[in-house]
Amino acid sequence: MKKLEFVLIALIVFSSGCQKQNDSRIHVREGVASDTLGSNIVTRPVTHAFSALIGEGIEVTNAVTRMSDAGFLELYVNGNNTSYGTKRFRYRVEWLDKDGLIIETKTSVWLPMSAMGKSPFSIKAVAPRKQAVDFRMDTRKWE
Amino acid sequence: MKAKVLYLITMVCVLAAGCAQETKMIDTRNDEGKAVMALDYRDFDLAASKMVQSMLGSGALKKADGGRYVVATGRIVNDTTQRIDTDQLMVKIETEILNSGQAVMTSAIGSGSDELLHETRELRDSEEFDPNTVAKRQTLIAPELTISGKIFQRNISYDRNTQQIEYYFQLKLSDVKSGLRFWQDETLIGKRGSNRSVSWQ
Repeated sequence: MKKLEFVLIALIVFSSGCQKQNDSRIHVREGVASDTLGSNIVTRPVTHAFSALIGEGIEVTNAVTRMSDAGFLELYVNGNNTSYGTKRFRYRVEWLDKDGLIIETKTSVWLPMSAMGKSPFSIKAVAPRKQAVDFRMDTRKWE
Repeated sequence: MKAKVLYLITMVCVLAAGCAQETKMIDTRNDEGKAVMALDYRDFDLAASKMVQSMLGSGALKKADGGRYVVATGRIVNDTTQRIDTDQLMVKIETEILNSGQAVMTSAIGSGSDELLHETRELRDSEEFDPNTVAKRQTLIAPELTISGKIFQRNISYDRNTQQIEYYFQLKLSDVKSGLRFWQDETLIGKRGSNRSVSWQ
């Protein structure tokens, strides 16, 4: 019995050791990359079902603002789709002036966004007024 | 007999009123209505928002001396099967260009021109108007940049029951003196739906 455990552990260690570490900038998607112990024809339906069960979705990792050369505030939102399916959603960025008051613009409308499963995504928005110093962003489901 | 007829008429009226589709205002800020195959206001909002952000973000409207460009709206071709007033797109873009503080739009020339600018200049010889209040010669400012573009559509049969319609919004910003193009962009809006839906209205 102990021998069997040893063989299993050894297999897991060896197989993970054989798995090549890709450049983190390059995302080789499931079905394109080689199967692994954690992701193969047997385990895949289980992991996908589990992901859906626990309700994995969009997670925002950071939001960066900077002033463009033209003098407009630029917003970069980076995040990850932690689920296995493509997540489609809408987002709206509203711009705030130095007093925290909203700046009415024609660009603050619901815009569509799509992030593929288990992938990072980025959103870029440009404030159309020089008075914009901050922002607020909202999301909603893509109907 | 009369009472019966009156009763019937009343009942029909009550039932018909109950079946009538109630008119509702659209919540244009948070519209959760279904997408339609034709272009609706949400598509123009989306296209205008993307175009404005692209144009301002590119820095094409930033003048080297810190001044403001004079921009004229040129021809925006509607090459779709729908009757579209292209101002539905351009007014939003012109408004944002103006409010950005980087450029002013001209009403003297182009598709956004105001006929009264020229008509009032014809009053120079009129004895009815105070000549000091009539615009002098050579006072109009010529545009430095022009915006022109095109909206067109492609209809593609997706399968037996489904059609795909692609709407392309293309805009370009050109320098009048040199003819050089400072900025251009394209926004694609794609729709897939029943073959029975019509996109020509």
